Amino acid sequence: MAQEMIEGVNPTRMELLKLKQREKLAVKGYSLLKEKRNALIMEFFNILERVKGSRDNVSQKLQEAYQDLTAAQIIMGDLAVKKAAMSVTESVDVDIDSRSVMGVVVPLIESETAQRTIVERGYGFMDTSVKLDEAAKKFEESIQLIIELGEIEKTILLLAGEIESTKRRVNALEHIIIPRLENTVKYIEMRLEEMERENFVRLKMIKKTMEETEVANG
Amino acid sequence: MKSTIAVMADPDTVTGFMLGGIKDGFPVDNMEEAGEKLEELRKEYSIIITTEKIGDYHRATIDKMSSEDALPMIIEIPDKTGSIDRESDPIRELIKRVIGVEMVE
Repeated sequence: MAQEMIEGVNPTRMELLKLKQREKLAVKGYSLLKEKRNALIMEFFNILERVKGSRDNVSQKLQEAYQDLTAAQIIMGDLAVKKAAMSVTESVDVDIDSRSVMGVVVPLIESETAQRTIVERGYGFMDTSVKLDEAAKKFEESIQLIIELGEIEKTILLLAGEIESTKRRVNALEHIIIPRLENTVKYIEMRLEEMERENFVRLKMIKKTMEETEVANG
Repeated sequence: MKSTIAVMADPDTVTGFMLGGIKDGFPVDNMEEAGEKLEELRKEYSIIITTEKIGDYHRATIDKMSSEDALPMIIEIPDKTGSIDRESDPIRELIKRVIGVEMVE
């Protein structure tokens, strides 16, 4: 296997120390990132529990709401329905907060959709149909569900993005950077040992020649 | 933080949501208008409800907006013709990519 290593390092002790330091840091970073990834994935699973069927609920509720709306439009006419809709008072009260999951800021929505009585809605009874009341009620319920769904989907989106980038970093550290550092450290160690042996042999040789000349002279 | 909800969709859907109690409804008639409106609304509102059809048409813009910031939150809902049959649910696709296996039924 071709062992990858960092190009252009000098096999010196200084360099070796530096590399060992870097390797230590990389390993530490790797374990931290791995923990972060695991925590994010756990959070992600928790959210997944909530998303199940939530979208289906919304479309079903909306479907009913649209049916009633259409019925109201047929009975009262488009314009009258629009007129009634204009006079409906605001019902939704939303507070958006944020919470941080491992550094990812996700929205936290508190919404209050008051279930209102027909009187509180604000349109007149004279020219409105009962279908309109039904439609209004169903839309109120849908809005509640939609806001919840929005929060969940947004959270999933943000978490997924973070998980992906964390995963990429963990993998890069695990499969590329750390092995590369290890190999370079090994290479330098080997080179240093080799140099020591060379030196040893050289000294022996010198000693031998010196002894030989001594014998020849003496 | 106090926040506001807007609905931007076809006139009928807007009427419906106004009936449900969202006061800021913006009916749009065609896709170009929807795109312009979306740019305007994102500055003022924190939750924007729109239809899947508009969402599909402006997919690139919306994706960019939602990945950049936590707000506004853009929620796509089916309109009165029912939800679009998509080959794959984008959320499910995302989950598959992140976790590596299919999770949600």
